[in-house]
Amino acid sequence: MTSGIPGWFSRSRPVVWALAIVLVAISLWAVVARAPVEVQMGIVQKIVYIHVPSAITTLVAFGLTFAASIAYLATRSWIWDAIAASACEVGMVFATVVLVSGPLWARSAWNTWWTWEPRLTTFLILWILYGGYHVVRASVGQSSKRTISAVLGIILFVNLPIVWKSVEWWRGSLHPRSVTMTGDMRQTLLLSMAAWLVFFLAAFQERLRLESLRHAAESGEGAR
Amino acid sequence: MTALRVLAKDLKLHARDARFLATLSLFSLSLVLILSVAFGPLFRDPAREASATLWAALFFAGVLGLTRALDLESESGGGEALRLTGADPFSVYAGKATANFLLMGALWVLLLPCASVFFDIGSLRVLPAVAGVAVLTLIGYAAWGTLFAALARGLKARELLLSILLFPTLIPLWIGAVKLTHSLWAEGSIDAVRDWVKIMIVVDVLGVALAAWLYEAIQEAEE
Repeated sequence: MTSGIPGWFSRSRPVVWALAIVLVAISLWAVVARAPVEVQMGIVQKIVYIHVPSAITTLVAFGLTFAASIAYLATRSWIWDAIAASACEVGMVFATVVLVSGPLWARSAWNTWWTWEPRLTTFLILWILYGGYHVVRASVGQSSKRTISAVLGIILFVNLPIVWKSVEWWRGSLHPRSVTMTGDMRQTLLLSMAAWLVFFLAAFQERLRLESLRHAAESGEGAR
Repeated sequence: MTALRVLAKDLKLHARDARFLATLSLFSLSLVLILSVAFGPLFRDPAREASATLWAALFFAGVLGLTRALDLESESGGGEALRLTGADPFSVYAGKATANFLLMGALWVLLLPCASVFFDIGSLRVLPAVAGVAVLTLIGYAAWGTLFAALARGLKARELLLSILLFPTLIPLWIGAVKLTHSLWAEGSIDAVRDWVKIMIVVDVLGVALAAWLYEAIQEAEE
């Protein structure tokens, strides 16, 4: 993994995409047809099956950015920078889904689209900061882009534990600390999590391939 | 020793740049004035409004101070010369962060009486504790601000980018500063919001620790 993307990783792209599409289709079917309608909130509660997996995927993506940033500073290999940037970009999409689906659920649960409570506020801060990562990456010169991005990828990760623990650290949090489900609801949630994580992997592979092609074009090498 | 030399150099650069210091002071005073007019003329909770105004003005004006020393250094080629000396990167960072801390401290000394007068708030009895809150806040501001300013040095529209990165990162520090200052002015103690001191210390330590780890890489990126 030090000089480029391994062959098996590139070759697995069609399989991962097929798996992702099938899993997402099954999970959406389960959300609509299998998971029971919650008594108090009604059909709006089903947003949880998109919201929670997206939040978990966001954390995985930004965690990958953090790990790859450390690996880049240790090895100075372009592939780690490509992994960090790719994971961060796809993670931003999932973070946006979290920010959009959250208020839709909150409108029904709390009777407001948005409230300044710790989890919402810290997640919005996280979204702004990782948006800043991409702006900085686009603004910085080619020679220092990878190092600056890696440093930023490490610094910004500090916010993830804050988002995670915010509901415990700050008093008066409205956001549920954890999602407790049983039966079909629990199975649907676990299936949704698996489906969206595989979807993330497929999108990440695609984005990484683009980074690889860009690197090949810039360095005059052939890309896999 | 290196840190002290860098500190002396940065302070000298600031002292020679009287026009910038005047601009920074007037800009921060304008912010206090604008916010006090926005909240007034009849204040509902002057302690809260004054503390929010004071720290908002300091945080916004501080961004200009953070980038100024680096700009002056770049213009004269001082930054490159400093790297060629082979000085320990963390010592360079420590000197710069201390200079930024002192600049922000001077700004706080200027703004505190203004906020007190405009909002008719504050007492000398709690002044040492309010100063303690300022020290705790400005250590974090200087620690993170210097790190991000170095990161954003070569970028276009760096003040904007610095704001995008710095302000969200410092929100726990900003909330803590406002809550503690408000509590001191309104109740004379921080008993009700004591937990924020711990959070602010964590933010301060984290900023310095990350700089100790990453400042060398940032310097390398500039070469």
